[in-house]
Amino acid sequence: MHKKFYFVLAALMVAAMVLPACAPATADCASADVFCVGLVTDVGKIDDKSFNQSAWEGVQQAKEEGIADQVQYIETTDSKDYDKNIATFADAGYDVIVTVGFGLGEATNAAAAAYPDVDFIGVDQFVEWPFDDDPSNDLANFAGLNFPEDNAGFLVGALAAMMTKTGKIGSVCGTDAVPPVWRYGEGYRAGAAYIDPSVEVFVVYHNDVGFDKTFLDPEWGAATANSMIDQGADVIFGAGGKTGNGAVTAAAQRGVYAVGVDADQYYSLPEAAPRMLSSATKLITPGVLEGIKAAKEGNLPSGNYYGDASYAPYHDLENEVPAEVDAKMQEIAAALIDGSLKTNVPPVKP
Amino acid sequence: MQSNEEQNNSRENPVKKLLKTAGNTMLVPFLAVLTALIVGGVVIAMVGGNPFYAYLGLFQGAFGSAKAWSETAVWASPYIFAGLAVALAFKGGLFNIGAEGQLALGAVVAAWIGYALPDMLGVSLPTIVHLPLAIGLGILAGALWGAIPGALKAYTGGHEVINTIMMNYIALNMVSFLLNGPMKDKSPGNVIARTPEIAESARFTPIFEGFRLHWGFVLALIVAVVVWWLLWKTTLGFEIRTVGSNPDAAKYAGINVKRTIILTMTLSGLLAGLAGVIEVTGLNYRHELGFSVGYGFDAIAIALLGKTHPLGVVLAAILFAGMRNGGTRMQFLTQIPVDVISVIQGLILLFVAADAIIRYIYRIRAREERLVLTRGWGG
Repeated sequence: MHKKFYFVLAALMVAAMVLPACAPATADCASADVFCVGLVTDVGKIDDKSFNQSAWEGVQQAKEEGIADQVQYIETTDSKDYDKNIATFADAGYDVIVTVGFGLGEATNAAAAAYPDVDFIGVDQFVEWPFDDDPSNDLANFAGLNFPEDNAGFLVGALAAMMTKTGKIGSVCGTDAVPPVWRYGEGYRAGAAYIDPSVEVFVVYHNDVGFDKTFLDPEWGAATANSMIDQGADVIFGAGGKTGNGAVTAAAQRGVYAVGVDADQYYSLPEAAPRMLSSATKLITPGVLEGIKAAKEGNLPSGNYYGDASYAPYHDLENEVPAEVDAKMQEIAAALIDGSLKTNVPPVKP
Repeated sequence: MQSNEEQNNSRENPVKKLLKTAGNTMLVPFLAVLTALIVGGVVIAMVGGNPFYAYLGLFQGAFGSAKAWSETAVWASPYIFAGLAVALAFKGGLFNIGAEGQLALGAVVAAWIGYALPDMLGVSLPTIVHLPLAIGLGILAGALWGAIPGALKAYTGGHEVINTIMMNYIALNMVSFLLNGPMKDKSPGNVIARTPEIAESARFTPIFEGFRLHWGFVLALIVAVVVWWLLWKTTLGFEIRTVGSNPDAAKYAGINVKRTIILTMTLSGLLAGLAGVIEVTGLNYRHELGFSVGYGFDAIAIALLGKTHPLGVVLAAILFAGMRNGGTRMQFLTQIPVDVISVIQGLILLFVAADAIIRYIYRIRAREERLVLTRGWGG
């Protein structure tokens, strides 16, 4: 019966077996002189205009500069696949595996133990696990790329304090139980105080809900930003995923200055772009590239290493920022990098 | 309905009959999968990939090695339980969209029994006691969450589709509260909404050293056989199927329709709860927000693709598990976005649900024989 159907089926199966043979040959990563870099995202997309994308750009630059011969990524769709996705690269003989995000920390730690010949770079992963005090878990082939978020918060706090006309500025943050969020918020406060201690700073952390909601609550972010604006704040810094985005967007709608976080949000939040004064940024791309370079030379920065934090360009508002403010910003940025200026923000909430 | 067909064919050789029935029933789902793969291949080609190379990666990742088989079985275990849950409800004429919530409750209760019970009793329990307790109370929670919409349907006529969706919200928010609050892992520095790890005595062990495949998969296969036996070899199963086919006829035949509806939803919730239990006791060893999200909805697709038959559900679950698992290797080899898998799964569901499309397409090619061999959801 159905002879034609079976013929078509057989033809398809033959084609399926023959055609892959002429698929493009990939580099042999298991070979010693082929340097391969793989990247595993957290549950999310590679083009998220934030963490995953910035890290992937760093990996791609490594290829463009001839450091890596082959680069590849895997998007994670379910957290139970963390181990498997990392192992896919490790088993294929990849030399460096970049894992993006706090959530992959434990899986990366386990993989570093299981594959001692592979170097691991964990973006936003603090290697000394707060819930694991055993120092033998600090592995030589595992480097955690972290950022001084307090510096970035300090910079935009200083900018906000110089740009405010009402003498009141605000920041809407996710939960301060997450150390980077705490550093952003307190850095912002410290930066404003550095410029002018009389500037009133409202910093609100979204601690009143669970960890699943704290970064995913744009309505709360918008409402909090609006109440700050009602109290006279004319610069709003949003730091905390979609919650912060809600605050930034609300600020832009009200016509006050908005300040984004992590990446230059002028590009990722187009609805807020016209009022986007700056963003507190982590330079993930150069941080990842630096880690890959070091790994290639055989001296991976084991333990934690720090990338740079900075602030994004003023874009559409460039004409509103006076030259002396811009000069002061560059001076502060340079002083933070060379260490002559300290934010004095404790790394975690005491 | 199915029972009539069985009676008509009863004079034939039973093995031949079984094969014929299976072949006939599976033809449309098989063609639906094939068509979805072809259309999916066109999509892959349109985004600039080589579909054959992509499918090779998918196949390798799903079934190409012992490790791939193990991972596919790990994915399949909750899919089988949840798929059976939805399929059983379909057999009883009920659409259980609440598997997601029943699953989450089963998981959270099993995790609680797993980590808290030894401390509360002050003794460490042997596996033979602890694991069955975790399973038993976990599935009890799922069963209760199924029974409530069942009772609402039976006594008030409240539609189970609406009520199971509402029960999902209650369950998922309750689980979110528990994981953020009373049941949160209190280890210093932990910011993740998750329970502590369950005790060793509440875990399914891996079957082979070095692989994540655990005895929960074997349990899933056994439960599939039990569900088949229940539906076709017991009075209760006959009642469930009769109520599903025609509640009025069932009533006049002396079947207690209300009791049967409640029982069907209870059993369905129990099976969905078991899906959550197995993820906690066999794989994750804790429950965490973000674990097992969407399995209860995938289960609807699996039940439909499996034509609501336990054997079909097992095969459909393994297919879906293979696609979810093999997607990693496909991405790795070809850099084709893993979303293609969702597109293919959506197409499969479309072609199974609207099987007139499939019949139309393939009738043109094989005009001499009609391929209209199956009926709708209820079976």
